[in-house]
Amino acid sequence: MTTPRHACAAAARGLPLVLASLALAGCASFSPDGGFDTVEQVAQERLGKDVVWARTAENQNRIDTRVAELLTRPLTVDDAVQVALLNNKGLQARFFELGIGEAELVQASRLPNPGISFGRLKRGDEIELERGYHLNLARLLAMPLVRQVEERRFAQTRGVVTLQLLSLASEARKAYFNAVAAEETVRYRRQVQQAAEAGAELARRMAEVGNFNKLQRLREQGFYADATLGMARAEHAALASRERLTRLMGLWGPQTRFQLPERLPDLPEAPTDQPEIERAALAQRLDVQGAKLAAEQTAKSLGLTRTTRFVNVLELGRAHNSSNEAPTQTGWELGLELPLFDWGGARVARAEAVYMQALSRAAETAVNARSEVREAYGAYRSAWDIARHHRDELVPLRQRIAEENVLRYNGMLIGVFELLAAARSQIAGVNACIESLRDFWLAQADLEMALIGKPGLSGAALALGSSPAAGDVGADH
Amino acid sequence: MVSRRNFLGRAGAVTAAVSAAAVSKVAMAALPEPVTQHSPDTMPPLVPERGRPYNPVVTLNGWTLPWRMNNGVKEFHLVAEPVVREMAPGFKAHLWGYNGQSPGPTIEVVEGDRVRVFVTNKLPEHTTVHWHGQRLPNGMDGVGGLTQPAIQPGKTFVYEFVARRPGTFMYHPHADEMVQMAMGMMGFWITHPKQKHPLIDEVDRDFVFLLNAYDIDPGAYTPKVMTMLDFNLWSWNSRVFPGIDTLNVRKNDKVRIRIGNLTMTNHPIHLHGHEFAVTGTDGGPTPKGTRWLEVTTDVAVGQMRQIEFRADEEGDWAFHCHKSHHTMNAMGHGVPTMIGVDHREVVSKITQLVPDYMVMGERGMADMAEMPMPLPDNTVPMMSGAGPFGSVEMGGMFTVLKVRRDQKPGDYGDPGWFDHPAGTVAYEWTGALATPARDRDPGRSAMPARNRPAREIEVQVRKPDRHGPH
Ligand SMILES: [Cu+2]
Repeated sequence: MTTPRHACAAAARGLPLVLASLALAGCASFSPDGGFDTVEQVAQERLGKDVVWARTAENQNRIDTRVAELLTRPLTVDDAVQVALLNNKGLQARFFELGIGEAELVQASRLPNPGISFGRLKRGDEIELERGYHLNLARLLAMPLVRQVEERRFAQTRGVVTLQLLSLASEARKAYFNAVAAEETVRYRRQVQQAAEAGAELARRMAEVGNFNKLQRLREQGFYADATLGMARAEHAALASRERLTRLMGLWGPQTRFQLPERLPDLPEAPTDQPEIERAALAQRLDVQGAKLAAEQTAKSLGLTRTTRFVNVLELGRAHNSSNEAPTQTGWELGLELPLFDWGGARVARAEAVYMQALSRAAETAVNARSEVREAYGAYRSAWDIARHHRDELVPLRQRIAEENVLRYNGMLIGVFELLAAARSQIAGVNACIESLRDFWLAQADLEMALIGKPGLSGAALALGSSPAAGDVGADH
Repeated sequence: MVSRRNFLGRAGAVTAAVSAAAVSKVAMAALPEPVTQHSPDTMPPLVPERGRPYNPVVTLNGWTLPWRMNNGVKEFHLVAEPVVREMAPGFKAHLWGYNGQSPGPTIEVVEGDRVRVFVTNKLPEHTTVHWHGQRLPNGMDGVGGLTQPAIQPGKTFVYEFVARRPGTFMYHPHADEMVQMAMGMMGFWITHPKQKHPLIDEVDRDFVFLLNAYDIDPGAYTPKVMTMLDFNLWSWNSRVFPGIDTLNVRKNDKVRIRIGNLTMTNHPIHLHGHEFAVTGTDGGPTPKGTRWLEVTTDVAVGQMRQIEFRADEEGDWAFHCHKSHHTMNAMGHGVPTMIGVDHREVVSKITQLVPDYMVMGERGMADMAEMPMPLPDNTVPMMSGAGPFGSVEMGGMFTVLKVRRDQKPGDYGDPGWFDHPAGTVAYEWTGALATPARDRDPGRSAMPARNRPAREIEVQVRKPDRHGPH
């Protein structure tokens, strides 16, 4: 790639005339961070996590070392998020969009290549040499505008990448809680299965000595068969949720043997109270910012389209005609395409429609953001209440029921099979408690995400990425 | 058991009820003072100080209601009210009864007495009292709606009639009867003969009790009034063994026991060591020629039986209902039989889930009585009662007749366990055992079996194994 200085010098030599407009446009160059600084900053501020763009072997080494170090101990949720942010290849691929975006910005800031025409005409003995430099004047005139558009586009790319990063963090957090809970569930399912197995075994012996008939025995066998099925399902769920976490953390090979803790983190003593949550969301949410940006951008695009509807058919060149029979002719040559058929009206109308569309989208995004954050907070509060109810009410209650059942068993008021059934249901209660705790952590992750972007990445990214204005401006030139 | 304290005076246990909650004090002023009993102990007989003399009865874990004479009329005051009855030590029930207890106090009168009974209703609903088995004016029969309006809560009604025939009677409500009887409302009535009666012998000891049944979930207090047959507490005078006092008599005493059945099933009442004769039924004394000796008599629903025998065999004699489930306390009727089931290995699996789990029933249910284990609150073990040789493994309708040569006349106190003369207690055989010859084909000639199953069914019976884990 040529250096900016070089590009600027070439332009200066060729066309002093356009220096003025170049001075207006400024001289775009590649930044040392490639736009990564903003992304890194968000990761630090919002998540307290490091991100590294693996552009060099040295960076990749840093990543590998850090990931290896994190994987040596049972992962906390923050560790899992950190590994994902460092090691997820999809995120790295996104980082390169920054490079692409910046390259486009630099490109837009450069002068169009001047054209040279050369003609050699012969009239009898007369040879006429016709030389001409010409430059797309419209592009030159529009350059400051185009650059602004590209700058916005680059900012938008940074926004998308940042959102992708936050979203990945959120997904990793959720996958982590799912995986830990699923492994806990497997342990409790195993206990249920053991209870059922004991019952089935006892029933078999009862039948063997003649105390149970086939029907009674088969019934107990049935509980065991059901429990085994439940166990198989739980094991599959644990595998699937662990694999999802593995993918998000970008792990493979021996790395996949990472350890998870045995238990989910405890329920916080109190839920966070957030009365100003809607305002916070509107101020922080990247999709809201992105929609605003898109609207601004289409506004510019509309202005640009209006400005260039005639100008872009203008062509300026320096003519230089020499002939062996006459003194050399020099002068300016202006070509003008007559806008007889296309006055650019259709393009302006389109741009206007696109602009209005972008405004409506921005409004929609804001309305949705408010609603989503309210919903997410409601879900978070309910999840906390439910988890606490499980922990403080249902589990102790079932525990006490189990104790009373043992007393009733002692008094031969109930039999061992009823005792086992009660034990199964008590275990199921503990498991439901774990699931409620998991749901709380998932709801918290969703709430955090709802405060910075559309919860569930795909929607937010799509709204930004497919902004119609971006394509429109590019297509004009 | 009857303690010495009880013989010294009734003052401590019997108190005048001053809390006539919803009843007007002016109205009460004209009434005999209601007397209330709070102890579940067997009270000594109430010897009559006034009126015609008679030989009083002893109500098992109960008492007799004092009366007052009013112009030649015997006046009693029954107060129908909610009560707390200790059905056995450590187990109390919320019942309905009379004058502080369920069953209510025994009413004792003499043939020909004019009797006036004031009945005050302190229940939350209306009630009546029906005088079961009595000859009386129809309007005094106590059938709500049929012979009288029901006694509303807070109201007092008066019943008055002459005790025309001697015998054994009962009283109980005849208004919302199903609920009120399931809640324990009932009592005994004895009409003693005016003079020597050819069919009614003089006796030394005369015991009375009612058979009743409750369905109280272990750990609960109030009977389930909807239960019809599957009761879990089979009681005598609302007491269950080991809460039923022993019948303590002197050797060679002539003993009469009167039993009334207000449960919903029959009870074959069985006495060990003696033969008895049924000397009276609902209808009065039985003619001498109809009496025969037996050791068990069935007391059908709504019936009364009066049995008599001479207690001429010393010892501690079991006395109980012969339906074996009726000599158990609350138990699970759906609990599977575990006899012969080898629990090893399975136990460790179960104890992982239920750490307090203990194997029971593998050898039978005697374990229940041997290992005292924590039970739900307010529950008596299904079988218990410590005897001199170990657990008696009984519950419900069970007690002991104690016959002693040195029991003083009129002393109803518990003499303790019987001191067996040497060589009169069953003992373990330590000699050699011969293998018995067994007939392997029973009934072969008389009734040869037809339609045998195609395949011989194998039944394995596990016999006690000294080398086993227990
Ligand atoms: Cu019975």
